[in-house]
Amino acid sequence: MPKTKIIDAKHRQLFPSFGELKRYKDLFLTLAWRDFRVRYAQTTIGFLWAFIQPIVTLVILSLVFGRIAKVETDIPHTLFTTCGLITWTYFAYVMTNSGKSIIESQNMIKKIYFPRLIVPLSKAVVGLIDVGVTVLILIVLMIYEGIAPAGTVWLAPIFLFIGMIAALGVGIWLSALTIRFRDFQHIIPFMVQLGMFITPVAYPAEKAAEQMPEWAMSIYYLNPMAGVVQGFRWSIFGGEAPGNLMYISFGMIAILFVTSLMYFKRVEDEIADFV
Amino acid sequence: MEQEIAIKVSDLGKKYIIGKQKDASLRSALSNAFKSAAAKGDDFWAIQNIDFEIKRGDIVGIIGKNGAGKSTLLKVLSQITKPSTGRIEINGRVASLLEVGTGFHPELTGRENIYLNGTILGMTRKEVKAKFDDIVEFSGVAKFIDTPVKHYSSGMYVRLAFSVAAHLEPEILIIDEVLAVGDAEFQKKCLGKMSDVAAEGRTVLFVSHNIAAIKELCTKGIVLNKGGIVFNGNQMDAVEAYHSLGRSVHETDLIKANENAEILNFDVSPLAGSFITISSGFTFEIEFNHLREKKNLAVTFELLNKDQVVVFHHGEWFCSENDSKKGVYSVKGKIPGNIVNSGHYTFKVIISTNMHEILLEVDPITRFEIANESQAGHHSTLPGITRPVIEYDFNYLGDKANS
Repeated sequence: MPKTKIIDAKHRQLFPSFGELKRYKDLFLTLAWRDFRVRYAQTTIGFLWAFIQPIVTLVILSLVFGRIAKVETDIPHTLFTTCGLITWTYFAYVMTNSGKSIIESQNMIKKIYFPRLIVPLSKAVVGLIDVGVTVLILIVLMIYEGIAPAGTVWLAPIFLFIGMIAALGVGIWLSALTIRFRDFQHIIPFMVQLGMFITPVAYPAEKAAEQMPEWAMSIYYLNPMAGVVQGFRWSIFGGEAPGNLMYISFGMIAILFVTSLMYFKRVEDEIADFV
Repeated sequence: MEQEIAIKVSDLGKKYIIGKQKDASLRSALSNAFKSAAAKGDDFWAIQNIDFEIKRGDIVGIIGKNGAGKSTLLKVLSQITKPSTGRIEINGRVASLLEVGTGFHPELTGRENIYLNGTILGMTRKEVKAKFDDIVEFSGVAKFIDTPVKHYSSGMYVRLAFSVAAHLEPEILIIDEVLAVGDAEFQKKCLGKMSDVAAEGRTVLFVSHNIAAIKELCTKGIVLNKGGIVFNGNQMDAVEAYHSLGRSVHETDLIKANENAEILNFDVSPLAGSFITISSGFTFEIEFNHLREKKNLAVTFELLNKDQVVVFHHGEWFCSENDSKKGVYSVKGKIPGNIVNSGHYTFKVIISTNMHEILLEVDPITRFEIANESQAGHHSTLPGITRPVIEYDFNYLGDKANS
């Protein structure tokens, strides 16, 4: 007796079905791999772009924050910034791409059923290219500067994972909101641009803490990436462990991610009617 | 023995909220319905109160005119969109083919697209891998399998895409008629594959305008009209029910008027039988109100096929110098059977004077379909603009070597 599938207009779920997502694992992998294959398709220098983007960003940030603003850091400023860029660039890439993913795959969505959540989720994989490239740059710089990683370096993947959840949380929210309100398409680049300044990518959060009252710092850490970037950097270079404020960021990430799944589920069934 | 139920639908309805749909094509698809619904309020029910059961192994044709709710029903059944009311029970693995090549990426090679499209259609990578060689062979593009599909001709593209779809092994297959669009060979393949699926005892839901295909392939028929089921039963009776919905195919929206003339009606009807087929022949009839005292009134008809190729262009002066009075005129033309091939056609009409002054031109004034009929075992449509019955003289003239 084959399995019975029931579609009921009255039946509403709070969360996406994880069992179903698991069944579509192969689609997830194929979509991720497709993005990987076509990311640099038809560009003349191809994969070189993956290096040029972070290097140029790094040079500019080092000039502005390191040389001009003379931000003081415990470790060489270039290293400091490279480390910050690893999680931030990943976050920005995944958020941007999962945010617009539903709109971009509307042709598919209108013609075939699959759990729609697969689409924004699959974007988390291809962003790992940038992580790999920036980590490579970081390793080269660390060897050059003669700085060894701290003993806490094994925590780095955990912070990266938290960064992934943060990016997906925001990305899933955006992908679902964009279906009805195309305005969000224009908000995404804005968020990436401003986000970098309110995230301690090229300056230490402690610097900001000196200038601001405690309550303002709590607000500062509502930015989910503030805690992730600080934590990731600490895991690699050691030093003073990040304070409790980091947990405000992590709490924020948990809330964003869980609510994003709920909101996505709520609109999922009608996506095909709106895109 | 009681057949198992494959699909059970009860009280199914899908409501669209007018004005919120952002998509232009959806809007245009529903545009006719919008006009009537707009007066009632904000909700538009594309389908409502739909109840039916489909037994395992049935091949069900779903027919209805544009806007009857066929596409919506299909989308709801294939879970692309959620129904607003009711419940669907589906027993078995479903594959829905609303188009071929969903998700194909032009930059990827044929090989990569097979995996991509296969997983989108619900196969696992392992299943795709197991059928990979068959898919490539069936598609006939083996030579170009590692070439990006953007370099494919459209024919190759469709063949590869269809080949992936053809190797799905669902228990229930939902197919849209868009699949039957394409060249004759492709249609034949598509319909042939459908019969294969059915022969294996699986369930097929087929949405189509192609009456001949419905009669030929289906065992059951469901007729939709204005979002509801008007008939559910044997496919032959379903076709009759469909035709009784409105024998003529005039589109009231297209009837036009200006200060010179006003078209009151345009009808295309079969000469024999209840619907137009290749052999039935057809009549076309126009009724118009001549509003000016123009002399030497002429009416010209132009029949175009779906590729906008003119099948014929023919006109007559119906009124001499003396009697081009104001008033209502009617002109009826007859085209015998076995002349025009099957397919979708449009009529263009021009009302003019013999001085070649055009009083009123309407293009197209109507759309209609000439249903296909099988000939010498060919169930699919044949190429060509005409489809005459040809008498052949066939003689055996003996063995050349012995003469």
